[in-house]
Amino acid sequence: MNRPQGQSHRPEITYEKILQLRHRNWLVRSVVYVLMTAMMLWSVQVTIIADTDWERMGSIGNVMSSAARFVGIDWALFPNLIEPAIETFMIACLGTLLGVLICIPAAWFGAHNITPFKPVTYPIGRLLMTLSRSIHEIVWALFFVAAVGLGALPGIFAIAMRSVGFIAKMSAEAIEDIDVGPIEAIRATGANGFQVVLYGIVPQVLPQVLSVIIFEWEINIRRSAILGFVGAGGLGLVFFRQMNTFNYHGVTSVIIAILGIILVGEVVSYFTRKSVI
Amino acid sequence: MAVLVVRDLRARYSAKGPEVLKGISFEVSEDDFFAIIGPSGAGKSTLVRCINRLVEPTAGEIHFNGQEITKLGRKQLRVLRRDIGMIFQEFNLVNRMSVMDNVLSGRLGYTGNLRTLFRAFPRRDIDHALQLLDRVGIADQVDKRADELSGGQRQRVGIARALMQDPKLLLLDEPTSSLDPKISREIMRLIKEMASEFKVPCLCNIHNVHLAMEFCNKIIGLQDGIKMFDGPTESMNEDKLNKIYAMEVL
Repeated sequence: MNRPQGQSHRPEITYEKILQLRHRNWLVRSVVYVLMTAMMLWSVQVTIIADTDWERMGSIGNVMSSAARFVGIDWALFPNLIEPAIETFMIACLGTLLGVLICIPAAWFGAHNITPFKPVTYPIGRLLMTLSRSIHEIVWALFFVAAVGLGALPGIFAIAMRSVGFIAKMSAEAIEDIDVGPIEAIRATGANGFQVVLYGIVPQVLPQVLSVIIFEWEINIRRSAILGFVGAGGLGLVFFRQMNTFNYHGVTSVIIAILGIILVGEVVSYFTRKSVI
Repeated sequence: MAVLVVRDLRARYSAKGPEVLKGISFEVSEDDFFAIIGPSGAGKSTLVRCINRLVEPTAGEIHFNGQEITKLGRKQLRVLRRDIGMIFQEFNLVNRMSVMDNVLSGRLGYTGNLRTLFRAFPRRDIDHALQLLDRVGIADQVDKRADELSGGQRQRVGIARALMQDPKLLLLDEPTSSLDPKISREIMRLIKEMASEFKVPCLCNIHNVHLAMEFCNKIIGLQDGIKMFDGPTESMNEDKLNKIYAMEVL
């Protein structure tokens, strides 16, 4: 039998060598464990023991009774929740729509096979995507509340900006994966760039992109439900007010309402996505 | 009269890459069904794609009906491409669109952006498309999506799309390589019939030498980017074929 040449040059592995290796492994592992334990203890000391207002918390009984204030539902609040719930829904819808519009240039720039001038436009597209995703929706909302004032509008802007990253990234990736054959054929007919995109690219990526948009819309319902915390309208704003007026049963009512519209969003998203794919 | 004159055509895919076409010259006349044969990697596809500049040639001249193709600007090139129909090995249909929309896409060069957006093609284009689909034998598939068709049917859509352009030259890039032998022959026969019916000269890059000998009146043989043979089909023989395909054995 002729063995592959590399095998004869393999260093001899003996029983002692294996023990030696294991011993070294054990040493490394112990050091890592000790370090991890020390760091954990230090964190507990700094963030929990030293940083908690133990006097305000009081006894276990106090904690329980504080938490128990949330048990119970303020039924009278529900009629007042209908409008904010619809508003939350609308913020999600309009925010997603606006986000999709911003996505078109972002995905166009950020897909390396169709980006108009790669050295410049590709980094711009990718930067837009990263920027959008690395800033939290609450931060976007704070930014837009400061810019355009309270209400649903800053919420819509915040949702739009936060959505661009994911939708544009997934769309750009879908565009990068397309079959170039049809594009070649469309170009060969004398079509212009716009027509090539419309006939060669859009039909190929549309199902994927639609599915991503619906998915993002569903997430945006969750997001828009809490944007009111910072003044950007919807159910979050009611939540914030109930909390400030110490109406804890009202807070529970809002939480239930949020849960309700999220469930509706999930059901709608499930069925529309199924029909698209 | 020569419709297409190619002189000393050279092409490479990158500045440092190997030269794929090393100075090819030939002429295609009005009623030619012109075959390009040669082993894989000889540059057949590149040669065909240079004619409508899907691949940019690095040097040489291509004269088509009095125009110098290699010198055209982007807009002029688009206008020129309307006159050159192309049929592909993998059909290159837009799978998620209907057969009708695929055939109509042959008119994109004549269609404005707004009409394209709403797929609102003029009545006469739609009538013409229906006629062509009937002529290539798939009139009953008009409303189907392109990916529901069989290979042979898809290539018929590809033929209809190319003819939709009212081309003055047809480029065929291995039109039968994805099809079985029987369907291949049917498709070649159909293309040949259509070409003579619409009086379009064809430049056909083809792997199958038997089909080339059967359907084409002129042949050029490529080997590694160099023209090894150029002449009427009758002058081709076993020896010359062996010479062209010699590289493949190595």
